Amino acid sequence: MKQSPQLQQVQENMRPGVLTLHGFLGTDKRDLVEILEEDEAEVRRLGTSHRAIADKMAYLRDRGKDGLGEFIDVAPHFEVRVDSVRGGIPSPFGGPGLIPKTNTTVRNKALEREIVYTDINIHLIGEHGFYEGKGSLFRMEPHELVEILEVETEAQQTELPPNR
Amino acid sequence: MFSALMISVGAVSGISAFLAILMVIADATIGNYGEVKITINGDHEYDVKGGKPLLGTLMEQEIFIPSACGGRGSCGLCKVTVKDGAGQYLPTELPWLSEEEQQNNVRLSCQLKVKNDMSIEIPEELFNVKEFQSKVTRIRDLTHDIKEVTLEVVDPPEINMVPGQFVQLRIPEYELTDEPVYRAYSVASNPSDTKHVELEIRLVPNGIATTYVHNYMKEGDEVIFNGPYGDFFLRETEREIVCIAGGSGMAPIKSILLSMAEKGINRRTRYFFGARSKKDLFLVEEMRRLEEELPNFQFIPALSNPEEDDQWEGETGLITDVVAKHMESGENTEAYLCGSPGMIDACVKVLSEKGIPDELIYYDKFG
Repeated sequence: MKQSPQLQQVQENMRPGVLTLHGFLGTDKRDLVEILEEDEAEVRRLGTSHRAIADKMAYLRDRGKDGLGEFIDVAPHFEVRVDSVRGGIPSPFGGPGLIPKTNTTVRNKALEREIVYTDINIHLIGEHGFYEGKGSLFRMEPHELVEILEVETEAQQTELPPNR
Repeated sequence: MFSALMISVGAVSGISAFLAILMVIADATIGNYGEVKITINGDHEYDVKGGKPLLGTLMEQEIFIPSACGGRGSCGLCKVTVKDGAGQYLPTELPWLSEEEQQNNVRLSCQLKVKNDMSIEIPEELFNVKEFQSKVTRIRDLTHDIKEVTLEVVDPPEINMVPGQFVQLRIPEYELTDEPVYRAYSVASNPSDTKHVELEIRLVPNGIATTYVHNYMKEGDEVIFNGPYGDFFLRETEREIVCIAGGSGMAPIKSILLSMAEKGINRRTRYFFGARSKKDLFLVEEMRRLEEELPNFQFIPALSNPEEDDQWEGETGLITDVVAKHMESGENTEAYLCGSPGMIDACVKVLSEKGIPDELIYYDKFG
């Protein structure tokens, strides 16, 4: 698919030094539209949606805030810590003001795996289906998010409870 | 046919070269703003070369505006009020400025270029901010993810500050950044030691600066920082004091307590420190020593989730619950808090419920 002028402008905003020191694209040389399409296909293959992934990220972030800066247990077997540093980041897609520089660390104790994401990751995934370019410091792999955060697939969501 | 093609190519190349030369000349003449005057707070005047961003121009005059991103426009901290000579707002400034700030002519100094005479306003204390060359004399682990870094001040040879303030550490180019970046850290040492600055730095996942400090910085390294900054410091009153911190929020509180001990300030002081388990707790012995030096000082660490082997007999639970349990009333009390925004917000709520007025709750939010 050809990249629209609007998406081209967003891609310009994502370059290093425009909104953030390192930008959002890492070493990825593809057009933004290709990055979005590939991740869209991956998320479909995983049987879920950007919104479901972002919602789970936000849910764990919100539970983690109760730890007041320390790790806190979140059912069924997560440990979550929410850290903040000074400042905020505007979205490269424009709006909604500044997004706080908040890091959420989630440890899945059952899998013994850990993932770290930021508030801007939640926004970019939920609103735009953007997981950042390959090689970006904060690139999120959709399959890792789904596995570690245990994001329910659409099939799981529509599964009828037993005895019915 | 071939010669016609060659003539066309030659003509296009010639025009391109002419336009390129024209752009170079334009950049050197139109873009040359010559000498301009910056007036600060109405009475400090500086003759500077125009054309560069205000933040860097002021830095060349040894005036340091706080900035955590080194002037890349990604932290939004380097705000100054420009009364005259700024021109229109730039699109790169607007996300960082509220409508009220825009009405009050607040600008982002790293984005705003100095093109003509300017009149600006900055807090008077920024004239005391300097850039320091220093040397790392000690790095030690306080916990599994917090390091204490001691810097010896080399040039200028002394730093004058008040307890509770912060400095901005310059992180040089390395694997994660091809440009220097600055990050703000509270000073943990007693400011009466004007030769040293002690920082407590917690590893932030993927953090450019904290990764450098934890994995690359070593004793003997030369380090640049600027400061001091901030209005988080002990007020000279007779009120009781409540301090609350977690993690590396220990730093400014420790600096305040060390200074109190040295000056013999013996106001009733309670320091609530929150951690998850014993492995996240640090400087407990130092705090116990301060309890001996300051008879009215009490250190109250609380673990939110002690491990079985911790054999913890102290307070447990979230720090907000422990504060609520220990404080009967906030009457005649002022509070000093340092930690994450979530922790500060939760503590402010508890302290307000105890009756401490908002104006007597001082805090240093990481966020």
